[in-house]
Amino acid sequence: MFTDKFLRQRSGTSLTREERAVLENAISEVRTLDARTTIARAGEPLSNSTLLLEGFMCRYVDDRQGLRQLVAVQVPGDFVDLHAYPLKVLDHDVATLTAVTVAILPHDSLNHINSTMPELTRKLWFSTLLDAAMHRAWVFRLGRLDAVGRVAHFLSETHLRLKAVDLSDGARFALGITQSDLSEICGITNVHTNRVLRQLREEGLCVFRSSLVDILNVEGLARRGQFDPDYLYIRFDSDDPDRERLM
Amino acid sequence: MTQRYALGSTHNQPGKANAEAGVVLLDGPHGIAITMTPYAALETGKSLMEAAAIAQTQISEPPYDRA
Repeated sequence: MFTDKFLRQRSGTSLTREERAVLENAISEVRTLDARTTIARAGEPLSNSTLLLEGFMCRYVDDRQGLRQLVAVQVPGDFVDLHAYPLKVLDHDVATLTAVTVAILPHDSLNHINSTMPELTRKLWFSTLLDAAMHRAWVFRLGRLDAVGRVAHFLSETHLRLKAVDLSDGARFALGITQSDLSEICGITNVHTNRVLRQLREEGLCVFRSSLVDILNVEGLARRGQFDPDYLYIRFDSDDPDRERLM
Repeated sequence: MTQRYALGSTHNQPGKANAEAGVVLLDGPHGIAITMTPYAALETGKSLMEAAAIAQTQISEPPYDRA
């Protein structure tokens, strides 16, 4: 199943078997793409939306000097550009960070869902609102946190997002991004990122090495990044240790 | 926007600067996280000191908050 990670472990919403089947049938094609491939450019008309199955993608905006600011990172299970369905053109670029596998859903198929399945449409809407919630958290991160706080917040967020789709064991996850990507996410330089990662390691909070992240202290890392997971709408299992540590 | 938020955006805690790999990293106060060349850091430092001296003359009691 291609859609098994979509909205997995999100509170207040889960897809029924029928809805999942409809979404599966709406997929016209599954593609693999190389790392560092731009799949949509700002202003270009789009007629498909993309569900990320494997790998990591990002949305980004370049400044006038060509310096990139990542404004979102997409993980498996995310609809990368569902916004393009009503908007038809995006105001930012979308690219792969790693090699990825994606499912393509033509907007015509989404039109059909929209006109025949209001509850599934609401759930698709939920997923775009989840993106909006994350954007608000990213604004907070860049506007209010120092460099260590920004990295701590991002890694805390990513830890929970990946755990929700079974790509983190709760302490360790593969994050196929470079230190340079992390800099562009957190709006700091590579030198700054290097120092921050050293500091987080020395404080016993986390280790980021070769795109592998070990969270040594989930609660401490969240505290350092002022991370409150409410905006992710994660449905914690009753025996999930993060339920106590983060809520 | 409430007065609390307006006051909250004026920082009374200093930032912390560190030298690393030939550049200056400034962390804080609050959401500030920038990297400067030594030249930019020196000039920013001078500018900050000059502006701080003028700002002190613009207020009465207390001259500034060291807390």
